Amino acid sequence: MSAMDASSPAAVASTDRRQGAWPNGFWGLLLLLATEGALLMVLYATYFYLRTRAVEWPLGGIEAPDPVVPLILTATLVATSLPMALASGAARRGRARAAWIAILVALFVQAGYFAFEMHSFASDLDTFQPDDNAYASIYYTVLGADHFHVFVGMLLNLWLLARLLGGLTSYRAVGVRAVSWYWHFANLMTLFTIGTILSAAV
Amino acid sequence: MAVAIPPAIERRLDRLERIWEEPSGLVGWLTTTNHKRIGLLFLFTTLLFFLAGGVEALLIRTQLLAPEKGVLGPDAFNQMFSTHGVTMIFFVVVPMSIGAFGNYLVPLMVGARDMAFPRMNAFSFWVFLCSGVFLYTGVFAGHAPNAGWFNYVPLASKEFDPGPNVDFYALALLFSGISTTATSINLIVTIFKLRAPGMSINRMPLFCFAFLAVSFALVFALPPLNVALVLLELERLAGFHFYDVGSGGSALLWQHLFWIFGHPEVYIIILPAFGIATSIIPTFARRRMVAFPLVALAEILVAFIGFGVWAHHMFAVGLTQLTTIYFAAASLVIVIPSGIQLFAWITTLVTGRPRFKTPLLWIVGFIVFFIVGGLSGIMFAAIPFDQQMTDTYFVVAHFHFVIFGAAMFPLVGGLYYWFPKVSGRLFDERLGKLSFWLTFVGATVTFFPMHIVGLLGMPRRQYTYPGGLGWTGYNLAETIGSYVLGAGLLLVVVNLAVSLRCGAPAGDDPWEGDTLEWSIPSPPPEYNYAVIPTVSSPYPMWDREDRELDERRLAAGEMTLERGHETPTSSVEDANLDEIVAMPSASWAPLLTALMLAALFAMLVTRHWVAAGGFFGLAFAVVGVWHWNEPEGA
Amino acid sequence: MTARRLPGRLRPAARRVLGAGALLLAVLLLAGCGDGAQSSFDTNSEPSRLIERLFWWMVLGAAVVFGGAVALLAISWFRRSRSGIPLFGEREPVATTAVVTFGIVIPILTLAGLFTAANVLVMRKTNAPAPSSTSMTIEVVGRQWFWEFRYPGTDAVTANELHIPTQTRINLVVQTADVIHSFWVPQLNRKIDAIPGKSNRILLYADAPGTYRGQCSEFCGLQHAHMSLRVYAEPKAQFDGWLRNEASPAPELASAEAARGRDVFMSEACASCHTIRGTEARGEVGPDLTHVGGRQTLAALTIPNTAADMAKWITNPQAVKPGNKMPGLRLTPDETKAIVAYLQRLE
Repeated sequence: MSAMDASSPAAVASTDRRQGAWPNGFWGLLLLLATEGALLMVLYATYFYLRTRAVEWPLGGIEAPDPVVPLILTATLVATSLPMALASGAARRGRARAAWIAILVALFVQAGYFAFEMHSFASDLDTFQPDDNAYASIYYTVLGADHFHVFVGMLLNLWLLARLLGGLTSYRAVGVRAVSWYWHFANLMTLFTIGTILSAAV
Repeated sequence: MAVAIPPAIERRLDRLERIWEEPSGLVGWLTTTNHKRIGLLFLFTTLLFFLAGGVEALLIRTQLLAPEKGVLGPDAFNQMFSTHGVTMIFFVVVPMSIGAFGNYLVPLMVGARDMAFPRMNAFSFWVFLCSGVFLYTGVFAGHAPNAGWFNYVPLASKEFDPGPNVDFYALALLFSGISTTATSINLIVTIFKLRAPGMSINRMPLFCFAFLAVSFALVFALPPLNVALVLLELERLAGFHFYDVGSGGSALLWQHLFWIFGHPEVYIIILPAFGIATSIIPTFARRRMVAFPLVALAEILVAFIGFGVWAHHMFAVGLTQLTTIYFAAASLVIVIPSGIQLFAWITTLVTGRPRFKTPLLWIVGFIVFFIVGGLSGIMFAAIPFDQQMTDTYFVVAHFHFVIFGAAMFPLVGGLYYWFPKVSGRLFDERLGKLSFWLTFVGATVTFFPMHIVGLLGMPRRQYTYPGGLGWTGYNLAETIGSYVLGAGLLLVVVNLAVSLRCGAPAGDDPWEGDTLEWSIPSPPPEYNYAVIPTVSSPYPMWDREDRELDERRLAAGEMTLERGHETPTSSVEDANLDEIVAMPSASWAPLLTALMLAALFAMLVTRHWVAAGGFFGLAFAVVGVWHWNEPEGA
Repeated sequence: MTARRLPGRLRPAARRVLGAGALLLAVLLLAGCGDGAQSSFDTNSEPSRLIERLFWWMVLGAAVVFGGAVALLAISWFRRSRSGIPLFGEREPVATTAVVTFGIVIPILTLAGLFTAANVLVMRKTNAPAPSSTSMTIEVVGRQWFWEFRYPGTDAVTANELHIPTQTRINLVVQTADVIHSFWVPQLNRKIDAIPGKSNRILLYADAPGTYRGQCSEFCGLQHAHMSLRVYAEPKAQFDGWLRNEASPAPELASAEAARGRDVFMSEACASCHTIRGTEARGEVGPDLTHVGGRQTLAALTIPNTAADMAKWITNPQAVKPGNKMPGLRLTPDETKAIVAYLQRLE
C-alpha cells in the first residue's frame, strides 16, 4: 500500500482523496515560500525606508518608471496562476495529459513575460546604472530578486514537463501541486514588486 | 523488557535493522541520511568550532590580562573578537542545538524513524561544514572578520575595510544560512507530520514545542540578515549604494536589518536550551512539569514577541523618543514568558523530589545564570541606563550570562543527559559534578566582574586599556576565571570521551526518563521504533499501560512497516494516521550539492564571477539529479 | 530514607549559595578600587546622578528576585526527599497559582513601575535638550581616531580636550567624519552615537569644576581603544579666557629654534594633514594644532604632552598607536627637536 508507486489515474486520484493532511513535500514548500516571502518583504521595506529618508525620489534626476507596460506585463504573468491551478487540479485527479498541457501553456506565457522583462532591464541599464545612487541600486535589486524567482519558477515548470513525460505518480502529483503554489506565490510577490517599483511615480 | 521476544520476531527485527542500515566505513558517513548519524556529525563539528572559539576567547582574555600588553596587536585582536562572536553564535550554539540535539532527538521524541527530509538533512550538515571551513580558510589566511559580529557600516564598507575580511564574514553567513534554513524546515515538517499516531499537539513533549518555536523563528529571522548581507556585498563588490550616506543610502539601514534578525537570533539561541531544561527537570524531579500548557505557550510567545524588540540594540543612535519608548515597552513585555518558564521550572523542582545528578546540576546552573542575565537584560530596558551602559563591559557581561550561562549550560547538561542513550554507556558521575563546579565557578569569575568594570567605564571591543582607571584588577580576575572555565569544559569532553570507552553499560533508561527515546535500546537501533508507539500524554514513559501494550505488540509480532524503508505520517493537530511514506536511503547528492555551493562561494570571495555562475548552475544540476530518483516503495 | 541531617555539615546547595556569594565578595575585594576617573558612579551632573540612582534601585529589585530564586532552589535541595510545597502540601493548583503570580502578575506590576520611573521620569532629563534651554552650542566631530571640538560663533577648533564652563547647559552636537563613533563621558551624561549623515544632540553640564574622562564607545577600527577625551569644566571667567585664546590664531614665535621647527613643519607632510590657524598649514586629516602646546595629552589621551613624548610620537607614530593615520617621517633628530620646540610653544 505504498503511496509512491500508484501510477494509474485512478490510483493517483484515490491516493489524493485518501490523504487527509497536506503531504510532507507540500509543507516543505510552504515553509520555503514563507522564508522567501519574508526576504522579499524585507527588500520592499528597504525600498520604502530609503525613500522616506530621501529628499527627492527617484534620486539623482532619474525618471520615475512609466506604469503602463509593467502593469500589462504583470497582469499577464499573474494570469498564469490559472493554468497552473488547472494543472494542479488535473494532476490530483490523475489526468496527466491535461496537466502537462496546462503547464506548457503557463510556461509559454511566463517565458514571454521573462523575455520582455529582460529587454526592459537592458534598456533601463542604458539610462541609469545600479551604482549611480541608492534609488538605482534598490530599483535593480528589487526587480532582480523578483525576476530571479520567476526564473526559478520557469525551471521548475521545465522540470515538471520533463518528469511528467514519464507518467504521473502521486509523488509527481504532489510536485505539480507544489509548483503551482510556488507560482501563486511568485505572482503575488510580483504584484508587490510592481507596486513598490511604481510607487516612485506617485 | 518484561515480555520475552520469540526468535521469529528477533529475526524480523534483524531484517528491519538491515533494511535501515547504511554502508559501513567512510562511504557510509559521507552518504548518510540517517538523522542519528547526522546529529553526531553536527555534534563533533560544532565541538571543534567550540574549541576554536574558546581558543579565541582565551587569547582575548590573555591580551586583556593587564594594560597595554603585547599579546595581540589591534588588527589581530579585532579579528579575534569578531571571529569569536561569529563562531560561537553561528557555528557552535545554534547548529549544536538544532543540528545535533534537534536532529538526533526530535524524531525519537515524536516516535518517528527519521526526519521528514533525510537527504536535505544530510545536505544541511555538509553545507554547514563547508561554510565553517570557508570561514576558517579566511581566518587562517589572516582575513578573518574584523568589524565585530554585527559588522556595522561604514566601518565594514569597502572604504574603511577594503580587504576580504568582511567578504568572508558576509559570504560565510549567507552560506551557513542555507543549512540553518534547511534544518528548520526539516524540524517543522517532522514535528508537524511525523508524530506517532495519537501524539496530538498537546501530547507533544515540551522539547518539541521549543524546537518548533525556534524553527519558525529561524524561518522568519534569517531573511533580514540575508538581505543585509546581500546588499552589503553588492555595495562592496559591485559598487551599489545602500548604506553610504553620500549616495542616498543610510548607515542605520544596516543596523535595522541586522537587528531585526539579531534580536530573534538571541531567542533562537536560548529556546533550544529551554527545551532541554524542560526535558531534564521533570525526569530528575520525578514529577510532571508544573503548568505545562503555560510553559508551552510561553516558549512560543518568546519566539513571537522576540521579533518586535530589535531597536533596543539602537537606543544610543538617536532614534525618536516615541520609537525608543515603544521598543523599551516591548522588551519588558518579553520578560513575562521568560518569567513564567523560570517559575515553572523552579516550582517543579521544589514540589518534586529532585535527584541532583550531573545533568540536573547543569540545569540549576543554567537557572542561576539565566536569572542574573535576565535581570541585567531588564535593566537595559530602562532607556537612560541602557544609554549609559550600552557598548561597555556591562553588556558583555549580560550577553555572556545569557549565551554562555543560559544557552551553553543546558547544552552541556543535555550532552550528559543523553550520552547514555547515544553511546549505551554511563559517564563518571563524580567527574561530571566536578566538571560542573569548575565551569560554574570559572564562568562566574570570568563574567560577573564584567558588570562592575563596565559600570566603572570600560567600553567593549578594546584591544587594550589604560591602567589607573580601576579596571586592571577585575580584568586579571576575569582572565583567571576564563582559564578555570576552559578547564571545566575540557573536563566535560575528557569525561565523555573516556566514558565512551570504559563507561558501565547504561541500559535503555538509566534516568527513568519521561519521553519516548528511553523506551528503545541504547544506542538506538537503526530503525528507532519497531512498533509504532502508543501515546496518551506528554510523558509517554510514565504511562505504563501504553508501554506494556507496545511490548505485547512487539512480542506478538504486530510490528508495522517492516517490509521496506518506510515511516508513517500523521495529521498536524490530532496525529491521526495519514499516509505511509518511503524514506530515501544513503545518497551522494547532498554532499555533492554542498561541494558545488562551496566552490560557488569560493569563486565569489575571490571575485571570479563567471566561474561562480558556472558552479551555481552545476549546483542546480546536481539538485536535479538528486530529485530524479524518487524514493522507492515496497 | 529521611535521616536527619547533621547540622555541622554544610549541604552542597547551601555551600553553593555561600560559595557564590563569598566568591563575588572576594573578587570585589581583590580587584580593589581604582582611580574611578571614568566611573558611572562618580557623577557630576544631574543626568548621570539620576541614572546612577536608577541603577541602584534596579540592583535592589534584582537582588530581591535573585535571592528569592536561590532560596527556592535551596529549598528544593533541602526538601528533596519530600514532594509538594512547604506549608501548602501537594495541591497542584497551588503550584500553578504560584507560577501565574510570580511569573505574570508580579512582573507586570514591577516592570510597569520600572518603565514609568526610567522611561518617563528619568528619560526627560537624559534626552536631547531643547536648544532654547541651553546657553551655548559645541560641535563634536568623531574621526578615526581622535575627537574634534568646534565652538560655533568663534574660530576655535581643538582636539581631544574639551573645555566647558561649569553650571552651564551646553547643547552638544555630535557628528562623524567617517565611521560610527560614540561620545561618552559617563560622569556627565549617557552616551550618544555619531552617525554618518546625522547630527545627534546631547546635554553637557558639569556641576563642579574638574576633569572628566570619556572614551569612544562604538567600535571604530584599529585604534578604537585609544580614542579617549577629557572634559575640563572650569569657572566661566576661566573658560572665557581659554576660549579667547583658543579662538586666536597661532601665537608669534620668540625663538630661532621654534622658527626653524615651523619651517620644517610647513615643508614636510605635516602641513598637508594638520591645520595651524594663522599659517599656511590647512590640512584636514589630523587634529588642529593651533594651540597644541597647551594640551596635557597627545594622540587622544594615549601619551602625555611632554617634549620627550611628542618627539617619540613624531618619530614613530606607528609604535605608539599602531594603525593610526600618521606616517613616520624621515626627520633628523635636530629637525624633530625643532618641530617639538615649535609645537610646544603653540599654547
